[in-house]
Amino acid sequence: MSDDLENRLTQALKPVAPREEFSARLLERVAAEARPQTATPKSRPRRTMPTWWLPAGLAASLLLAVGVRHHAAESQERLAGLAARQQVFAALALTNQKLDLAVRTVQSESRAAP
Amino acid sequence: MKTSWRSIGVVSLLLAGSLPGLVRAAAEPRLALPEFKDLAGKATESVVITMDPSLLGMAARFMDSSNAEDAAAIAVIKGLQGIYVRSFTFDRDDVYRPADVDAIRRQLADPAWKRVVETHSKKTHADVDIYLMTDGDKVRGLALIASEPRSLTIVNIVGAIDLDKLRKLEGQFGLPKIDIDSSKN
Amino acid sequence: MNGDEQFARARAGETDALVALIREHQPAIYSIALRMLGSREAAEDLTQEVFMQLGTKIGSIASKEHLRFWLRQVTANRAIDQLRHDARFPMQPLCEESPLFADGEQADPLLQHHLRGLLAELSAPARAVLVLRYQEDLDPVDIARTLEMPINTVKSHLKRSLEALRIRCGLTTV
Repeated sequence: MSDDLENRLTQALKPVAPREEFSARLLERVAAEARPQTATPKSRPRRTMPTWWLPAGLAASLLLAVGVRHHAAESQERLAGLAARQQVFAALALTNQKLDLAVRTVQSESRAAP
Repeated sequence: MKTSWRSIGVVSLLLAGSLPGLVRAAAEPRLALPEFKDLAGKATESVVITMDPSLLGMAARFMDSSNAEDAAAIAVIKGLQGIYVRSFTFDRDDVYRPADVDAIRRQLADPAWKRVVETHSKKTHADVDIYLMTDGDKVRGLALIASEPRSLTIVNIVGAIDLDKLRKLEGQFGLPKIDIDSSKN
Repeated sequence: MNGDEQFARARAGETDALVALIREHQPAIYSIALRMLGSREAAEDLTQEVFMQLGTKIGSIASKEHLRFWLRQVTANRAIDQLRHDARFPMQPLCEESPLFADGEQADPLLQHHLRGLLAELSAPARAVLVLRYQEDLDPVDIARTLEMPINTVKSHLKRSLEALRIRCGLTTV
């Protein structure tokens, strides 16, 4: 019986969903304003190949292939760099969390001391 | 009264300076940290971060110094050679054992490491130990072990970590500043 | 996409993953805001504010656990600040809302509605403590961390608020 009120509170405070139109509007806005990734690396100049000795069509295909490979490599590097950046933030945030824990413990124990 | 990280740093440096004979030049600030695959298997959340100098350099290249958060992070990681984190959260108490971190504590028993903070909370049963490795007046590394009933976190930072700059990040990264003596309640 | 992958991708900047994360946490955050502020409009405003901020902060959130902690902390503390400073939020009974996960048998819907109304008469911090305890199922230690409140204050709010609610509801302990 002593838990009856607490059970009733748990029932009364079960999560409720917001209105569908609000939810849709919010998700749309978040998607639209998702922060662009910061700090794009300096662009590497695209290598150009001497093509005067190749038929034009083949030359164009080769340039396209080289361009695509460079783009893919740059994208991969960018993804890796951004992932590394996130890891730094995560590590520093977690370290600070635990430093906070130490500070709180010191403060709490010194207040509790007679 | 907020704990002054500068005063802790000064105390630790003074202690280090007064015991030169015990500092072994061979000790390394980088700890040998296992992956803790066994704990990871039991954890509901795992954070395993291994950032050596090349990864730190790459991360810094992708930070924007005109952005306040990025600039603050750059200031902290400049001069670091590595950041290593192992953090596990469990859905019940006592999933990990003290023996799981024995191998790390044995490394920190080297005289080159000075335990500058040792906290134990009787209420939350959380222990936080912080060690610094110094070379004269230079910090070479930091190690932190936070043991909570449902969480274990080990952090090893290699290089000249500036604790004041690190603490200034409090309030960024979504962690609000802690006001221990809050009178608002 | 499992939860860990979804979180990692949201943190790496993938919008779809961020949107999925928000969808997952929206009911809890909206409900905290609603139970604290007492009006749907105010709750929607606060919910939007919190998730818009998440969009810029996600990169620095360390884990899913940290995300839950951050969302609850920001929502509860902003709601407390609003209640303290804004005359738009006089103490008034909460508006009617159906729970998201309605039980098959609603033992006493009138009492539940009454309880939600009584919650609105508690002080802002006490209300936050009860919402985090009974909606989010946090223990007092986690509530203390979330609200940056001494643990004894949390326990005191819990004890006094439950006593007051028991009396007001005519419930007595055996």
